[in-house]
Amino acid sequence: MNKSIAEINDRIRRGDAVVVTAEEMVEIVRERGEVEAAKEVDVVTTGTFGAMCSSGAWLNFGHADPPIKMQRVWLNDVEAYTGVAAVDAYIGATQLSETRGFDYGGGHVIENLIRGKPIEVRAIAYGTDCYPRRELETTVTKDDLNQAVLCNPRNAYQRYVAATNSRDETIHTYMGTLLPNYGNVTYSGSGSLSPLHNDPNYETIGIGTRIFLGGAQGYIFWQGTQHAPTKAMGTIMTIGNLKEMDARFIRGATIEKYGTTLYVGLGIPIPIINERVAKSTGVSDEEIKTDLIDYGVPRRDRPILRKVTYAELKSGKVEIESGEVPVSSMSSLKRAREIAGILKRWIQEKRFFLSQPVEGLPTDQVFKPMKQITAVPFVRDLMTREVVTAKPSDSIASAAKIFAERNFDHLPVVDTKGKLVGIVTSWDIVVAVGTPKKRLSEILTHKVITATEDEPIDAVARRLEKHRISGVPVVNARSELKGILTSEDLSRLLGRR
Amino acid sequence: MTRKVLLRYTTQKATEPILASVIKETGLLLNILYAEFSTRGGEILLAIDAPDKEVDRVIGLFERKGVEVREIKRAIQLDRDSCFDCGACLSLCPTGALHFTADRSVELDEDKCIYCELCVPSCPARALKLSKF
Repeated sequence: MNKSIAEINDRIRRGDAVVVTAEEMVEIVRERGEVEAAKEVDVVTTGTFGAMCSSGAWLNFGHADPPIKMQRVWLNDVEAYTGVAAVDAYIGATQLSETRGFDYGGGHVIENLIRGKPIEVRAIAYGTDCYPRRELETTVTKDDLNQAVLCNPRNAYQRYVAATNSRDETIHTYMGTLLPNYGNVTYSGSGSLSPLHNDPNYETIGIGTRIFLGGAQGYIFWQGTQHAPTKAMGTIMTIGNLKEMDARFIRGATIEKYGTTLYVGLGIPIPIINERVAKSTGVSDEEIKTDLIDYGVPRRDRPILRKVTYAELKSGKVEIESGEVPVSSMSSLKRAREIAGILKRWIQEKRFFLSQPVEGLPTDQVFKPMKQITAVPFVRDLMTREVVTAKPSDSIASAAKIFAERNFDHLPVVDTKGKLVGIVTSWDIVVAVGTPKKRLSEILTHKVITATEDEPIDAVARRLEKHRISGVPVVNARSELKGILTSEDLSRLLGRR
Repeated sequence: MTRKVLLRYTTQKATEPILASVIKETGLLLNILYAEFSTRGGEILLAIDAPDKEVDRVIGLFERKGVEVREIKRAIQLDRDSCFDCGACLSLCPTGALHFTADRSVELDEDKCIYCELCVPSCPARALKLSKF
């Protein structure tokens, strides 16, 4: 059985097209099979509403008098890119406000534009014979702009990995706040409603596909950046008229201690042109698997703990090791459903017709890592291996003598097997003087911030800064002391650079 | 209405069965939301679901027994207009005060909230606010 997009559009025009949401389609395919489903259903609508950092808008301000060739421009103190013609600029979602930091960014500017709010524009220029003006300040709303076009390089990941954290401290990532010791799991994506997961072979989705974008009708105009269809991580580039959008479906947001972003509401209608497509739109949350990744490891290739299904993630609890861990979604399933529902209604009310793609999307592309020409230093490259250590039973006086004779500030305390049990700093000794305390065991710090040999230096530098300490003992997985890394070692590195 | 009171114990008072005796005397179900004791004394956050007069009596009893009592009138507020129901806050909430309803809207059950405030900065929509009054 085959149907053309033209035939489906005819049915829409006649008002007898059968349109269902992707969640409804799961049940239809489960009960009646894809052969019957393909006969019965004409269009399946999908939806997603999540943080999509790779988003932004092209704006054209028109010319001032005297005219200016904007060299730099700020919108509500958020800088936009204007390295194009005189009064064109691109405001990116993650650009931070220069006055409000993480609380306000490009995503919020875009939301406020959609809401029709006035935006303060400030620009500077070097001045030319044709564009003499060097400074400009004005206030605009979207109605004052010639074009305001949402133009997103990467949207609607087919699925995304789920995140957790093995470290013994809370970390703040683009996947949200991750509690220590696998304290929670976060994920993103709408699972069975995911636009690209309903047509993973791009039989119907391609360049020129008309979609729901931010409450308006927009288009797919290319594969998204980092498009990785063979890993079920396909993406799309999208474009649409910002002036027609609804702030219910385009929201500026802040991910704590990470930055600003834009929540984008997006839905793709899938025409049921054959049984294969009917089957793929019947995909259920139980069938969509993703990797649960340990974001506690600050590397490009983070360890995979296990596979999880979207059904497990949506249930709110995931098993890790032997315990149940609470789950947070970073994207909104409720709003994804709303989008699939609106798209369904638009088609039923003949307000939205399907488009025939002019070109397909690649199905075999891979996402390559960055080519790097300088080696990144690791802890093992910089740490001091010959470490003076002490035992818990050693006297404070003997430790004071060591600090006095040698020029360092950290004395790791190890047990008889060489395992790190604590640390004493020269400051601890100073504080202990004049108290009745005698042994290191009475003054040592047990909860030691440590590093491992295979960690990148940048991760450890961040840790030193975060805890305001000047050195960390380096240990292996069995807590055996392997060396020490101090801020002095790090400054040596800077000297070399 | 549930009222919440924070009890502050000195080290000396921490070993006395004060809470147990207040429960016995009033016959009220005093719900412990959290408790923490260290060498510097301790804290217990209680939720009391009883008529105002009864709650006032409980507060008086604790004070007479040498416990410092402070009624907590802070509140975490969920701004439904800003919230887009992602649920980023849910796994950070230790008591389940923030939860999904059947239609996957985020809902805050204030009675269960212990004011840990973990949710406030983690809300991408800035829909959770701590108000003090």
